[in-house]
Amino acid sequence: MKRRQQGILTGMPFMTNLTSRTFIDDTGRKLYVATPPTRIASLAPSVTEMLFALGADEQVVAVTDFCDYPPGAGRKPKLGSTKPNIETLVALKADLILAPRAFIDSTVIAKLDSLKIPTYILEAKTIEDILSHLHTIGRIVDRTPAATRLVAEMRNRIQAVKQRTALLSRPRVFYVLNSEPLMTVGPGSFIHQLLELAGGSNIGGITGQPYPRISIEDVLKQNPDVLIFPAGPSEGIPEQEQRQWQRWSTLNAVRDKRIYRIDSVLMDRPGPRIVDGLELLANYLHPSAWPPSSPAAQ
Amino acid sequence: MTGPHHLETAPSSSPAGEASPSDPLVTVLAVHHRLSRRWMAVMGILATVTVLLILLCLRVGSQPVDLIDMVHTFSHIIVPDRSQTDVEIGETILLYVRLPRVLLALLIGASLAVVGVALQALLRNPLADPYVLGISSGSALGASLALSIGVGHSLVQQATVPFWAFVGGIAAMAVVYRIALSGGRLPVHTLLLTGIIINAVLSAVILFVTSILDPTKLFRMMSWLMGNVPSPDFATLGILAAYAGVGILLLLRQAGNLNLLALGEESAMTLGVDVERVKKTVFVLAALLTGAAVSVSGMIGFVGMVVPHMLRMTIGADHRFLLPASALIGGCFLMISDTMARTLFAPSEIPVGIVTALIGGPIFIGLLMTHTARMNV
Repeated sequence: MKRRQQGILTGMPFMTNLTSRTFIDDTGRKLYVATPPTRIASLAPSVTEMLFALGADEQVVAVTDFCDYPPGAGRKPKLGSTKPNIETLVALKADLILAPRAFIDSTVIAKLDSLKIPTYILEAKTIEDILSHLHTIGRIVDRTPAATRLVAEMRNRIQAVKQRTALLSRPRVFYVLNSEPLMTVGPGSFIHQLLELAGGSNIGGITGQPYPRISIEDVLKQNPDVLIFPAGPSEGIPEQEQRQWQRWSTLNAVRDKRIYRIDSVLMDRPGPRIVDGLELLANYLHPSAWPPSSPAAQ
Repeated sequence: MTGPHHLETAPSSSPAGEASPSDPLVTVLAVHHRLSRRWMAVMGILATVTVLLILLCLRVGSQPVDLIDMVHTFSHIIVPDRSQTDVEIGETILLYVRLPRVLLALLIGASLAVVGVALQALLRNPLADPYVLGISSGSALGASLALSIGVGHSLVQQATVPFWAFVGGIAAMAVVYRIALSGGRLPVHTLLLTGIIINAVLSAVILFVTSILDPTKLFRMMSWLMGNVPSPDFATLGILAAYAGVGILLLLRQAGNLNLLALGEESAMTLGVDVERVKKTVFVLAALLTGAAVSVSGMIGFVGMVVPHMLRMTIGADHRFLLPASALIGGCFLMISDTMARTLFAPSEIPVGIVTALIGGPIFIGLLMTHTARMNV
């Protein structure tokens, strides 16, 4: 009896300490940040977008070559395009490094830990993860009100999409991740969730893999109503590719000319603009549920 | 296929199947007659097997087709059925998706296997394969650049990735040829070494491109490099068939010369072969075929290496048999591998290069073991 009481008493101060300025990242590492960091290095476009959306742009000291949004991000010092060099990271004197798990090696993390450079690893598997990341980063950089506001707004927009498409029939959609070899997205991928959330039925779902190669035979058999092509900013669907798809005149999507392009950065960056991507998708899948002023299809 | 082995001595007894004036005409004609009968028999069997395998590969897939439906579908090409306005989906799949893909696999497999035989003879090295001369790396680099910087560039976007892969392959061929050429001669050792070094250098450049590429675009390049048999439209397939067909036929015509070259360059020269000319011809043909094959389908390993050796063990080393047989068996091998690649894990696919290695390896080892066992007896 006595022992247990002691346990509670010694545990309490520890608990309070944990909840104030201690954060647990997605790899389970504990990070204590006494004061809001002033020199943050972002190792991915999605992280940069989150920091800027929270108004923490002043504190960002370095970004990757691929961080092109918002425009201010492009003017920040660059860390290069390859996996980060450990010496560069040390030389930055960063007091926080934010990196998605896929963008950083575990050996680099271990080295940064041994050098006592605070590193926080993010791993977004669902849209809910993005929202919680925004929340946590907001708390780390001491912008909790902004984070709360942003997350609430994103949640509202997601909810609106859900409501509008809830009662509509779900068109079959095929996402052309790559055409030679033909690849798409399936369960376990981020884009699959977006497609389903936008009120579509993703054909790649039948594969059960996140980024499967798929045979055009199966696509023809599944007969998508809508084709979606991700493309870089200011580029269209390559003409060659369009011609290739016109061959399959039996497809509902080709017959009804429901072939759309979407900015790939809106789909593959787990950041605040994911909701823009979601709305655009919902728009393409359910044009009738949106006012005609919405972004036009190609 | 356990053919007799006595034919391995055939090249020395009747080189190139041509009569040299000193031989008694009767013997020559008799040998020639026997050879051509055997040739017809072997090729007849292999061609029949090929046709049967084409039909088999056409049957399996996401939508299995039975033979009657197939005949029915093919009859529609000859007599278009205007009564049904909506083309049936099964018909589209069989005719416009599966058939071109199966035939393309046949073509690529044939090209790679023939090139493998020719290069093994030319370089007198059993380890030679279509990728040893650096042409494939040139193609891969061309494709990688097109895939990475090409996005957004209008000039690059107009042409397709296969086009730039082909350009890369031809450029690599020119470089290897220029470096290896010394005093109008093409020494095979220099050629082999140049090819290997160019391969290494270009692979490093490819890795460099990979390392600076946007991670979200990386998978495009990796999946291209892993190899894939596309399903072309019939116009494209026709062009490719003509190209590969001419290339393979021109290589087949070198069969006699390659037989003589196997005896050594000096011996071949004394027997009246223009050795340098033959070497250059074979090199250029092999390079053009490899460049095209890699451009269309990426890097598919094992076909050009394993099929020639398998056939050498079963039907002998006479290139008049080996080359055409390799074309047919190489084609069948890739066709079956690709069919497995698209059906084993349906509805998703796996890269065909994985299948060729996983099937080809064990078959080859099995053959090697029975072959050596028989040799020891």
